[in-house]
Amino acid sequence: MKSYDLPKNLIDEVKEFEYKIKEFQAGAINPVQFKGIRVPHGIYEQREPMTHMMRIRCAGGIALPRQLKKTAELAEKYGSGIVHITTRQEMQIHNVKIQDIVTIYRELISVGLSSRGGGGNTIRNIVASHDSGVNPKEAFDIGPHTVALTSKMIAKENSFNLPRKFKISFSNGGEIDSRAMITDLGFLAKIKDGQKGFKVFCAGGMGASSALGVVLFDFIEEDKVYCVTEALKLMFNAYGNRRQKHKSRIRFLYKSLGEEKFKQYFNEEYQKLLQNGYPVLELEEIENKDNKNNSLKEEDISAPEFELWKNRYVKEQKQEGLFSVELPLFLGDITAKDAVKLAEFLENFGENSLRFSIDQNMHLRNIPEAYLGNVFRLLPEIKTISDKPSLTGKMIACTGADTCKLGLCLPRGVTPEIQRALFESGLDLDKLDVRIHVSGCANSCGCHHSADLGFKGKIMRKDKELLPAYVVLAGAVISENESRFAEELTEVASKDMPSFVVDVLKIYSEKKARFNSFYEYAQNEGREDIIEAAKKYSNIPSYEEDASYYTDWTAKEKFTVLKGQKAECSASLYDMIDFDKEIIDNSLEKLESVEGQEERNNLLKKILFSASRMLLVTKGLEASDELSVYGLFLKNFIGPNLVSGEFADMIKKAQNAEIGDYKAFEDKIIKLADSVKKLYESMDDSLQFKTEESPEEPSSDENSAEKFKDLRGVKCPMNFVKAKIELTPMKSGDKLALLLDDGEPIENVPGSIESEGHAILKKEKQAEHWFLLVKKG
Amino acid sequence: MNLNEEQIERYSRHILLKDVGVEGQMKLLNAKVLIIGAGGLGAPAAMYLAAAGVGTIGIADKDKVDITNLQRQIIHFTKDIDVEKVSSAKEKMNQINPDVEVKTYNEFLMANNIREIIRGYDFVIDGTDSFASKFLINDACVLEGIPFSHGGILRFDGQTMTVKPNDTACYRCVFIKPPPANVVPTCSQAGVLGAIAGMLGTIQAAEALKFITGVGEPLYNKLLSFDAKSMRFREIKFKKNDKCGVCSENAHITELKDEEQAACDLTT
Repeated sequence: MKSYDLPKNLIDEVKEFEYKIKEFQAGAINPVQFKGIRVPHGIYEQREPMTHMMRIRCAGGIALPRQLKKTAELAEKYGSGIVHITTRQEMQIHNVKIQDIVTIYRELISVGLSSRGGGGNTIRNIVASHDSGVNPKEAFDIGPHTVALTSKMIAKENSFNLPRKFKISFSNGGEIDSRAMITDLGFLAKIKDGQKGFKVFCAGGMGASSALGVVLFDFIEEDKVYCVTEALKLMFNAYGNRRQKHKSRIRFLYKSLGEEKFKQYFNEEYQKLLQNGYPVLELEEIENKDNKNNSLKEEDISAPEFELWKNRYVKEQKQEGLFSVELPLFLGDITAKDAVKLAEFLENFGENSLRFSIDQNMHLRNIPEAYLGNVFRLLPEIKTISDKPSLTGKMIACTGADTCKLGLCLPRGVTPEIQRALFESGLDLDKLDVRIHVSGCANSCGCHHSADLGFKGKIMRKDKELLPAYVVLAGAVISENESRFAEELTEVASKDMPSFVVDVLKIYSEKKARFNSFYEYAQNEGREDIIEAAKKYSNIPSYEEDASYYTDWTAKEKFTVLKGQKAECSASLYDMIDFDKEIIDNSLEKLESVEGQEERNNLLKKILFSASRMLLVTKGLEASDELSVYGLFLKNFIGPNLVSGEFADMIKKAQNAEIGDYKAFEDKIIKLADSVKKLYESMDDSLQFKTEESPEEPSSDENSAEKFKDLRGVKCPMNFVKAKIELTPMKSGDKLALLLDDGEPIENVPGSIESEGHAILKKEKQAEHWFLLVKKG
Repeated sequence: MNLNEEQIERYSRHILLKDVGVEGQMKLLNAKVLIIGAGGLGAPAAMYLAAAGVGTIGIADKDKVDITNLQRQIIHFTKDIDVEKVSSAKEKMNQINPDVEVKTYNEFLMANNIREIIRGYDFVIDGTDSFASKFLINDACVLEGIPFSHGGILRFDGQTMTVKPNDTACYRCVFIKPPPANVVPTCSQAGVLGAIAGMLGTIQAAEALKFITGVGEPLYNKLLSFDAKSMRFREIKFKKNDKCGVCSENAHITELKDEEQAACDLTT
């Protein structure tokens, strides 16, 4: 059995990558350039500099026992000694030193694995229902499609330089959600007139702006899967928004084009592919059968624990006499030593004996009934949470702020606390089938949108202090005919999460009999119950009263967001801005009715302060005290003329605490608040203000151009090719503005452009890249 | 029509060329070239033209693939034996480049059908193996006003010229009429070094690409010939023949007729 085919040029790419690592270590290329190289290889830097995570592709969650074993050995030798299973059914190795990356890469290749496309703007790991091929209720096995599509897509160079990441899911039509309806491109298995095929969804996805997928086809034959994918990819490549990272996924393209145009553009590519007789998917059946070369001696067990475990975790397959077994992991982690043990055990059951699921668990398959005892006997030797109710294993938590640079909260800190609280609560957890998902920020890595009870990290403010907290969401349902995301209901401090979850599940367990599912409950009275339950926790003690609220679970330090670096997580930033904006708006409203002199004075002071602080966060600034807010505002907003200089004197006075009577400045303060709010409205997703000279949008006269093309991330010579594509239809004398990467691109492209008779009007370094203004000859 | 992302990548090495660029590539994508003969010369020409993204490529041949062809007709594979050459060629061309529309003509081109078939093409490549065919193609192209590349190979030698009817010398201007049947050795006895076919067919493909994109100087008014044993190339210059039977003012050929000469046993 094979998993997927490695691209033919992978060996060369790894060699080139090895060279780039050396250049980076020697200081010849800077960290930002290096990031652009390593991320598409599935390698992310953790919060600790020079320490990396490698994300390994496992199409459809399929891994052969020897692949698991090799990965585990590498994790033991070069990483943290843990193999982590992700919510996209991949394996991850953490704490990898930069000098070991290539060694690991080559070892992975030797067992048919690759981390290429694990990150960046690429075709990411293709997910599929983990029970495909064994679920008696499925339409048919989609494993072969997942594998074949993966092989084909990763063989193409243009799958690795898309406008943004591209996620694909397959569902076998069983009862388990594989997210086909909420992803960039989803295939739901269907049988029509005896023929295998798929209902196709696209433009869905979870994240800071989630969207449900729309139906692209009611039915396509199974061999068209490749054509549909390729067509959507080509169209995405042609029309996708490369400039605004936060608005570039396919769902945004759908939104901006509208259904009709989107489908029309898609169809143009699709028809072209069909007419050209593009290759169909070559499907190779994946056999699910009893492996006769089993060297184990059957274990016969009769114990109540064995029966309880079977009830919780063992399922009959559609192949008679064979069983699948879920191995629930604590947040997707298994020690490398245990993984090796498990892999060796699984070799007895053949190559097709293991899957990873999107709830970060392992699933053994093709285990004959007589050997279930052997699996049970193995359990005490490897650390899983198989002795706990399945609700625990179904909990998802993203990695959070300890390794992720975007994270706000620490889901992996709070989740064990929730589990502990649940175990101690006396609730019969085996009767509660509730999926609890926790994300550390608004990006949906912890899948809070698809949760029964979901949480997304946010910043709460109490007086002048920040504290970690979560927005509570509930009631997602993802199915063919009805999909909706969990709805945001209320919020609760991180500290109170465990008892809050227990409270909610207690109420639910009392009412459960009346509902078919948690989702149904949440849609009805559950909604109010959850909002009500959170009220108990709405009164947050001040830092002086209880400092523990201001340090997240397992965190060593008091909660902080920015750590002096530019804010990476846009969602948290909006929280902070909105906080001040609300103060301004409320105070302005009160000002209209309040007459008391002192009260008015206080309101105006508040407005002045919040208006000055509101946008500091967009520059990655956090004031240490009240007066320094004014200093930072003066320097970063009035100085660069984002806000008019007419306010400078007033702000200086405020900075020196010289204003006693704010009423004397009433008009000016209100005008300032107005200016700041207007400036905020002009802000785009890359935190640039319209009045600013943005590196992405040359706006001053001398930089103005008829056309603009961002060629960052495009390698030589394709960057020059694309520049020519832009120049060709332009009129002589027209100007083209380009952004180019440092290094090879800026060294080569300008010369090539000049040699074709065009003039370079301007060549200017901007941050980590170059701005080039070209006049067509 | 604009280039899509995949096309930009596929043709990037053309686009990079100053003389070709996007405009040149668009010309190629909109061009129509007919290759007569899917044999030793036609094979490399078809593959390079397909790879280059010539939008429509016609290919004409009546034969089926024979094992003796495989020594030089590289578009055909062992698995294709007994398959019509045009089908075998089309399959490979589409595998190289699905952008290309391949039209197949599984027939002998004769006086009664050739003009109709070549009409509408921008350029013709003569990859045939007999003097009769070469004169027929020359005359048909002159009468239809379609530029073409002549090519011929034997043993270790090859020759080629490019003709723009009425502007430049044509094949008949130089060679007047087919040689008598008993003068030229039969090709099956003479033999040919396989790579010679590749060399010449590739030159013909390059001539076609140059003509379409308007780059450089085609082999007008000169015959390029080479001897692979010494690997010497030479050019023989000549002018339009004012007594030419088809392209001069006194031309007497106004209608085509099939020359009487046995086709060579060995397809070039």
